[in-house]
Amino acid sequence: MKYQAKPLPPIDLPELRQVGKPLRRVDALSKAVGATVYAGDFLLPNMLHAKVFRSSEPSARIKRLDVSKAKGLPGVVCVLTAEDLPNAKLTTDIPGQTGQKQRAGSDAPVLAIDVVRFVGEPIALVAAETLDLAERALELIEIEYELSPGVFDPKGAMQPDAPVVHEPDNIVARWKIRKGDLAAGMAAADLIVDNTFRMPFVEHAYLEPEAGVAWVDEQGVINIRVCTQVVEHFRSVARAVGVPHNKIRVRGTMVGGGFGGKEDITVEIFLALLAKHTRRPVRLAYTREESFIAQSKRHPFIITHRTGVKKNGRITAAEIKMIADSGAYPYLSPYVLLYATIMAPGPYRVDNLHVDSVAVATNQSFTSAFRGFGGPQACIAYEQQMDEIAKALNIDPLEARRINYLKTGDCNATGQVIESATWLEETASRALEALGEKTLDSGPVKVGWGLASYFQSYGRITWLHDTSRAWVGIELDGTVVVRCGAPDLGAGQVNSLCQIVTEILGVPLKDVTIYSADSAATPLAGTSTATRQLYMSGNAVLQAANAVREVLLERAQKHFEEGMDHLDIADGKVFVKRNPEEALPLSQLAAMCAAEGLSLSNLGLFKAPFTEGIDPKTGQGRVFPDFTFGAQAVEVAVDTETGEVAVLKSVACHDVGRAINPAAVEGQIAGGSSQGLGYAIMEEFALKEGRILMPSLSEYLVPTSVDFPPTQVIILESGSGVGPFGAKGIGEPALTPAPAAAANAVADAIGVRVRDLPLTPERVLAALDRAQLAAEACV
Amino acid sequence: MLPDFDLLTPQTLPQALDMLATGSPDVIPLAGGTNLIVDMRDGRHRPKAVMDLRRLDELRSIHMDDGHIVVGGGMTIAELMTDPLIAEHGAPLGEAAAVMANPLVRNRATVAGNLVDASPAADMAPPLLVLNAEVELVSQEGMRRVRLEDFLVGVNDTLLQPQELLAAVRWPVPSPHSVGAFYKLGLRRAVACSVVNAATMVMCDMDGRCQQARIALGAVAPTPIRAHAAEGALRGQLLTEEVIAKAARVSAKATCPIDDIRGTADYRQRMVEVLVRRLLVKSAVGVRQ
Amino acid sequence: MRPKVVTLDVNRKRHHVVLAPNVTLLQALRELGCTDVKSGCEKGDCGACAVLLDGKAVNSCLVLAWQADGSEIITNAGLGTVDDPHPLQEAFADSGAVQCGYCTPGMIIAAKTLLDRNPHPTEEEIREAISGNLCRCTGYGQIVQAVQIAAERMAAAGPVTVTGQGG
Repeated sequence: MKYQAKPLPPIDLPELRQVGKPLRRVDALSKAVGATVYAGDFLLPNMLHAKVFRSSEPSARIKRLDVSKAKGLPGVVCVLTAEDLPNAKLTTDIPGQTGQKQRAGSDAPVLAIDVVRFVGEPIALVAAETLDLAERALELIEIEYELSPGVFDPKGAMQPDAPVVHEPDNIVARWKIRKGDLAAGMAAADLIVDNTFRMPFVEHAYLEPEAGVAWVDEQGVINIRVCTQVVEHFRSVARAVGVPHNKIRVRGTMVGGGFGGKEDITVEIFLALLAKHTRRPVRLAYTREESFIAQSKRHPFIITHRTGVKKNGRITAAEIKMIADSGAYPYLSPYVLLYATIMAPGPYRVDNLHVDSVAVATNQSFTSAFRGFGGPQACIAYEQQMDEIAKALNIDPLEARRINYLKTGDCNATGQVIESATWLEETASRALEALGEKTLDSGPVKVGWGLASYFQSYGRITWLHDTSRAWVGIELDGTVVVRCGAPDLGAGQVNSLCQIVTEILGVPLKDVTIYSADSAATPLAGTSTATRQLYMSGNAVLQAANAVREVLLERAQKHFEEGMDHLDIADGKVFVKRNPEEALPLSQLAAMCAAEGLSLSNLGLFKAPFTEGIDPKTGQGRVFPDFTFGAQAVEVAVDTETGEVAVLKSVACHDVGRAINPAAVEGQIAGGSSQGLGYAIMEEFALKEGRILMPSLSEYLVPTSVDFPPTQVIILESGSGVGPFGAKGIGEPALTPAPAAAANAVADAIGVRVRDLPLTPERVLAALDRAQLAAEACV
Repeated sequence: MLPDFDLLTPQTLPQALDMLATGSPDVIPLAGGTNLIVDMRDGRHRPKAVMDLRRLDELRSIHMDDGHIVVGGGMTIAELMTDPLIAEHGAPLGEAAAVMANPLVRNRATVAGNLVDASPAADMAPPLLVLNAEVELVSQEGMRRVRLEDFLVGVNDTLLQPQELLAAVRWPVPSPHSVGAFYKLGLRRAVACSVVNAATMVMCDMDGRCQQARIALGAVAPTPIRAHAAEGALRGQLLTEEVIAKAARVSAKATCPIDDIRGTADYRQRMVEVLVRRLLVKSAVGVRQ
Repeated sequence: MRPKVVTLDVNRKRHHVVLAPNVTLLQALRELGCTDVKSGCEKGDCGACAVLLDGKAVNSCLVLAWQADGSEIITNAGLGTVDDPHPLQEAFADSGAVQCGYCTPGMIIAAKTLLDRNPHPTEEEIREAISGNLCRCTGYGQIVQAVQIAAERMAAAGPVTVTGQGG
């Protein structure tokens, strides 16, 4: 069936000069010539090299720990264990948040105290003159474990007799939604469809392993150069190290990939402790294996959908249960679970809804933030459920969705009114249309199409008092300086801020210098997480730039004797709109302002709207500033004799509100799509009894250049976002629909659904076998 | 960090053999390093001494000699991909080279290294087995030829003695009426260890009757193996769908795969049948052309 | 074994360094200040450490520094600078092919070696040539475009003089 794109409503987006253009990003050339310095590239004089001694057991008491031989090795300068730490707990609650509500028992120890709960848990730190000596020191650390039974699956961990990872029980968090009348809704259904879906751990696998260097400066401030998504961690670092907040300075670097894996504290506290104890610069860089073992993963989920539907596909009721594996320490699990819970029913109107979700501790890698933050997992379930519903009712998959799609003015699962455009049908139909003609089956190779619609929040939970600050100033020669604490993860966070400033102040991009990600020297802009930077810092920088612009135009008004409305700034000149020849170079105007004591800079502060928390009994309330809507369509070919899945075509269509830099938006969507397809098809994170079987990039397979065709990206701009110029966020949404679309395509190809990701050839073949047996049984 | 070791850098083959003879068994030859360096880094190998073979020109040639193709052990996988002698007289080897690892690794990895490492999944082995290859092992005592099938003894285990080097691998120029093929089943299209790999070489007479068939399988036994029973079942037969299917089934029975993180034994065995069938069909079609 | 003096010809500049045999070329280059050569896995799985060794793209983590004694080594920083970028570097910057940038140096080295032997590669050939370089940010689409653009620009411009920074 050939699909046709639903026409878009007429949108009148204002013409812009710089925003909306695929300009070369401010960081691009330096990175391309290899001049950009990353966290592991710093070498300081008199520098020590650090290593972390980690647990080799998933569940044990430390009977004996003896670091004396390590300490005694010549060239080893410092060895620290939990005994040496003033405040041994690491607050793992919401990063970078002021006035946080701390969950009892949510803290992981900086270094293990008496007990280890996962393989890789840090136990001791070593700093030595060379890396080689530090490695040898690790080998000299003596440890005796008293093994205790561990628990390695969340369902098992919920049993009353299960080993307890944290007292009093393994329940880390629970959320629920109660909306409408479930029983009545189910009673009104013509059909009830039940399915359970499972998703595994996923590894971030950024190319840059965690790294950093720290030193104590002349003011006694511990400086930490580190690749991080959050510079506000300086407060948690200070607490853990036992110094005042104003004695830690986090200097974030250009991050070599984050995706949520560098959202929690990684090396910062270790570096600060060693620098403080030795009074020398210290470098710590994780190996790839260590990065696998030491850092967070995406939450595995088991999601059960029970949906009541009418014959025409209209959903009358939905009951959804979710179980997430929190791993050995909670970190951000309560929030990941919340996001998944809110997204559980998908971008559909469900008036009668029950969602019950629980996050459970196990003795495995701790799980935390990963692009989408529970949203992709929810989507993998709700979009496969949607296809199952369509199949059961013999309706076209797009039709089944269309009748249920949320519309502007509708409420989502928590009763939050959707205020922006909801281009669900527009994006889904476009993605499907772009698949073109379906490739024909050939011999044992069956071709299938899969669609996934989604919506994903951008901006943080609105009861967190999120703020962002940015400083914009114009120099006397007309060049511009921006200071903003936002870390850049490679998605172009920093460039977007610059591009916005060039639009408002009318200067070329090359005339903007930006200082970012410094907890001491740049205004704090909050975390580069939750797809919030463009929304928050973009608005802050917009505000600041507009304030500077106003000062300039007010002064220019006097000069030209024209009203401010009749003036504009572009190409480094202020000019009269109806006669552009009448112009004044910005540098001159700036000099005039400075001579008269007018302020040429402004510190912008953007506050996200604040709401009270949701009702704990019903899950009702406003939670997010806004949502991004979109879809992905995928064509796969499944070799039914080997089970191999090949992606033939992939199309992603998202309404991004307004694309500040279309090339960057395209890159985010293409990259997110690739990660999502990898998640669904080849990324198998194998754990056995708490041990990662092969912590290496040769066994944990992320997509190479020859694995998937390029994703065709279709960008739509409704202008209805709450970010600058009507922009929405795209960083996380880019990944969300991809895995579900791939799973749906495989099910379409082979006529049977594989309910466990990833869709390895063996799993696909096993599903085909089951279907064959079932068919034979019927005959 | 790599463990400490002595690094020997012989300039000629006789020098190298002398170093091996004197230092054995503590001297490990280093060819491309794509296995050994990784093994040393991961602590699987802590040799006292490592001998760099890269400067030995004697190991770096591909030529024809007395009706045989001779490939020096120091030739890289990348070089195999572009050599005309391989393209003409060793097609399945060229096909395997093209899908082994990735271009960066192929620029260093050597044929000898792949064979001496003797992974059950070694991609170079099945093609060489169906080409009926022999390896030339040299030491100060002289040179001996061993059939590749005999050379591969077990998991990461060969007949190579500590004072020997694998100087070359050679095979008789295949008959013009024969067709070879290779397939690698991996979990990703590049840079993936084979779940199962297989090669076939089929020679038919003018009537399309199979005169000779060779089938080699990897990652389904402690070493890459030839499926002799299946080969026997094909000899003298017309290559019909039925005959091929039977040979494929017999091939699968000859294997003893294991479960590992890349796949289960059951799946592997099943895939042998599928791969062999497809390769034989491909070869049969190729022969007809 | 005693360290010895090794001559590393890096980006057309000779360095005489005293190195133990167990030092990889990756380590040696980074110790010389070539921070553009990245460590991503140190096992040949990711390609972030790729350099040209006597014209061939290799994982520098799998080469011992002693083995590179006397060889010509070119790293990405040796191909161009911010003031005078190589067409590949420029094309990468222009095409959105650089996001976090960590894979970029190794990726450009792989692309360079492709264009050296095949000035007009197809999309498939480009993908094959960079299949040993992992990228987790871009999905490779814009990287392939960048290589195509660079190939066109280089064909139009004629021979390129490489003026990257030494060392």
